[in-house]
Amino acid sequence: MSPSREERKTDLLEFLRTIQKAGVPIENLGEGERLVASGLIDSLAILQIISYLETKYGVDFSEGGINPEQLGSIGGILDLIDEQTK
Amino acid sequence: MSLQLFVGNLVEPLSGRTWQTRDVHREVARRTARFQAHGVRRGDRVFLLFGNRLEFFAELLAVWRLGACAVPIDARLTAFEIENLARTATPRVAITDDATPPELTKTLGNSGVAVIGTTEVDEMESDTHEAKLDSDALILFTSGSTGEPKGVVHTHRSLRARWMALADHLPGDAFARSLCMLPTHFGHGLICNALFPWLAGRDLYITPPFRPDLIARLGPLIDEHEITFLSSVPPMWKLASKIAKPPQRATLRRVHCGSAPLSAAAWEEIRNWCGTRHVCNAYGITETGSWVAGAREADVAAEDGLIGEGWGAVVQVLRTNDTTQPLRAEERCATGESGYVWLNTPALMKGYFQRDDLTSKTVADGWFMTGDIGFLDARNRLYLRGRERDEINKGGMKIYPSDIDAVVERFARASDVCAFPIDDLIYGQAVGMAVVLQDRQPQTISELYDWLKEHLAEHKLPSRWWVLDNIPRTSRGKVNRDAVRAACEDQPPLDLPAILAGKNA
Repeated sequence: MSPSREERKTDLLEFLRTIQKAGVPIENLGEGERLVASGLIDSLAILQIISYLETKYGVDFSEGGINPEQLGSIGGILDLIDEQTK
Repeated sequence: MSLQLFVGNLVEPLSGRTWQTRDVHREVARRTARFQAHGVRRGDRVFLLFGNRLEFFAELLAVWRLGACAVPIDARLTAFEIENLARTATPRVAITDDATPPELTKTLGNSGVAVIGTTEVDEMESDTHEAKLDSDALILFTSGSTGEPKGVVHTHRSLRARWMALADHLPGDAFARSLCMLPTHFGHGLICNALFPWLAGRDLYITPPFRPDLIARLGPLIDEHEITFLSSVPPMWKLASKIAKPPQRATLRRVHCGSAPLSAAAWEEIRNWCGTRHVCNAYGITETGSWVAGAREADVAAEDGLIGEGWGAVVQVLRTNDTTQPLRAEERCATGESGYVWLNTPALMKGYFQRDDLTSKTVADGWFMTGDIGFLDARNRLYLRGRERDEINKGGMKIYPSDIDAVVERFARASDVCAFPIDDLIYGQAVGMAVVLQDRQPQTISELYDWLKEHLAEHKLPSRWWVLDNIPRTSRGKVNRDAVRAACEDQPPLDLPAILAGKNA
């Protein structure tokens, strides 16, 4: 059985903790809040998020390209995982 | 001296704004008149606390027309750092835009500096030309923002020498439509990527620096504006190769990459993405007016660390880095032998601003000791192999560990500190820090974090912290940053987010 969205979120938060900047409690972030604008991550940390999605979920960005907007929030990333793992 | 305004068009692809050459002349003349009304005169210094937009270039040329000196400043610095720079450089005026943080404007105002918004201009125009060839034209502060600032001073003569050398060594047509995505407060972005083509009458396309959303659209941007040239730093390509579709129209004729030499593999990857073989490393140092060496024919075979020949510079590799002794021919390394890279160029800076002590540590008989390690091959082409400069290269942004040390040392409960480079997936290097504290209580660590946030620009904040019992030192009491890093790598860093989350809970 594939993991639920909540389980994926838990894993995503664990990952974001490893790349986040200190001083911004990730637990307080809403799913729709912008990760960069909130100060949680650096704008170029999108590269690390891409690597995470490629490794963890086998997402292949080479064909469809990447929409940085979609990778800019926890909810957007989870939606992308949902689409890719259907 | 008449400062010729043989400029090209200026374009902001993001906003769609364009200034034709005649618009640039008008905007410069208006700003010149505005500066005169504020009493700016030859020899004055003007802070430019913004960049990467059309108005920046009009302000720059207006400052130069009056014989004053432009000081582009990174607006990400803290109020503490800005106050320190203002105390050193004593600008008569500071120019801001709507993105300049209000606390910086307030700090400068409190320091007695007149602060003017870049769009605050009226119809009055002035065509005065007060600049002298050996007047100070540009100061770029490269370090010391938290202590004793180190500002590279270029005169109009040294800048012109750089641009003339580049015009001699590079194919002019390749720069017909140049895209600048690099910050205009750095030598690389300002002097070479932007001003070199633009002041030669070529069109310049200017965007905000390092924006992932822009990099994601880089291919279509290049196609839409038929961009022929851009310069870059390695992290741009790490991102572009992942998230951006390549250009389709084959308009690029040349691409430079600076800050750190490319590996052969990364080099070929960039060539494939750009659709041109004409991609090369551009070796640039602020003190030499940035680009000082590279491949004239950029379609050379890619090799790890290959730079090329000097562009208006004589390149020597010596066994010594001693600037106190006269240079001797017998110190020259043999072909293929690694040593210290020295440069002799008419584009060399005048010196460090009010720091003759620092200038004498890097310049000997007109030769500049770069601090880079490299060798020359049988064709006199330079290869870089490393550097001995005490700096952290975070994706092309040079961060000086001593700037971080200086702030931590002023924290009452810190006994010792050593900042050092750590490997980083995206930027190549990031900032690590070993610190000795009087206690390891979360409260102390939180307060140190707040202290750093107050005094250091965000990109300089250490991302990994290690709290040690003592900082390893040499028998002569000196810190060896490599040794400290090695000691830290054996143990896990502090879980800073968790500690700070506890504070915020």
